[in-house]
Amino acid sequence: MPTHTRLVLLALLLILVDGCKYGNPPAPQPTDRTTGYRAVYISNEDLRNVTVQAPQPLLNPGKIYVKDGYLFVNDQQRGIHIFDNRNPAKPIDRGFLRIPGNSEMAIKDSTLYANNGPDLLAINIGNPANVRVVKRIENVFAPSSYPDARQVWFDCPDPGKGYVVGWERTTLTDPQCYR
Amino acid sequence: MKTKLYLSLLVGCCACGSAGDSATPTTGAGTGGSTARFTVADNFLYVLQKQSILSYDVAASQNPVAKGSTSTYGAMPETIFPFGKYLLLGTPSGIQFYDRSLKPAAPTFVTTYNHWFSCDPVVAQGTVAYATLRSGTPCRTGQNVLETVDISNPTSPKLIRSYPMTNPRGLGIDGNTLFVGEGDSGLRVFDATDPANLRETAYFRNISTYDLIPARNVLVVTGTDGIYQYDYSDLSDIKRLSSIPIKR
Repeated sequence: MPTHTRLVLLALLLILVDGCKYGNPPAPQPTDRTTGYRAVYISNEDLRNVTVQAPQPLLNPGKIYVKDGYLFVNDQQRGIHIFDNRNPAKPIDRGFLRIPGNSEMAIKDSTLYANNGPDLLAINIGNPANVRVVKRIENVFAPSSYPDARQVWFDCPDPGKGYVVGWERTTLTDPQCYR
Repeated sequence: MKTKLYLSLLVGCCACGSAGDSATPTTGAGTGGSTARFTVADNFLYVLQKQSILSYDVAASQNPVAKGSTSTYGAMPETIFPFGKYLLLGTPSGIQFYDRSLKPAAPTFVTTYNHWFSCDPVVAQGTVAYATLRSGTPCRTGQNVLETVDISNPTSPKLIRSYPMTNPRGLGIDGNTLFVGEGDSGLRVFDATDPANLRETAYFRNISTYDLIPARNVLVVTGTDGIYQYDYSDLSDIKRLSSIPIKR
């Protein structure tokens, strides 16, 4: 793409971004400060407690991944269900990898990569009888510091309470944060 | 060490009660859905952050080594899809193309295909990219569409056609068959032989579909109701194979 075309596109983009910013002036702060958002925490003690468990019920399915006849199903913020899916008409539940704060995964060879709250894990899944964390890279993912919603009050997150994995709408008492 | 490995494989096979070859872990990457934010391409793991792509060298897969961070342009990228030597990022302002062949640890920005409003995931096959755009967040025009984009020249992607949708989310292409998740509004199946003229061949309304993976005639669907699998070897008669319901 010629440079001048890029510049024109950039200018157009800036105009659009600008239009977005001023086209929707922020609504006045709601006077009702009793409803808003509260952070959902995983306690710092529990956060890094990654274990292999017997099959667990599927509660809140997230992302999926397939490799070598196995199906991996993320249960949002809880971990990964592992299914032997060589017969897709009859997937067999092989167990649950408890990974607090997990939402993402990918696999190379026999290694599963997964987020565990702030950390990135490499987990050896080559031997179903001996699934184990082989490497932990700490503090890759920053916790959520505010809810996605706008023009809302929320309880300011407190790192002492743990790692923020999400936000729930609730009744608040004197919230100090707003966006 | 080798003996130990063989033993563990053996134990693995016995434990499953079947000696199917597919249980043996193969080298290389598996397949994720279109909404993935982690992806493995050759010897690198790419992890999408709010404004960057993190690169990890996973040549030795059990020992990922951080190789740095590549800043992305504009709005927060939502999805990453490996496509040949490219990484395709779905972002709210369009599809961003990065070339990972020159410096796999620091993918090179190639171009952005802008559609000016919202973008969710993008997948690609051959010379065509497929992206869904969904309304619902601020500063979006409220369009719910599926776009086919000509990427035969990846430095200059061009819109082929835009198709109205209800509430599109994850999508996947296998051969000439395109699957589009419509969130709580179901699952659509298209004959994508001609990207300028997609033909809807089936629409399953009662399956919550947030993301999906089609591979070797089996479609895996994830949604708020659970996991569903379908056999699409006969496109005129797509059959449900199984379901893993959620616990309510």
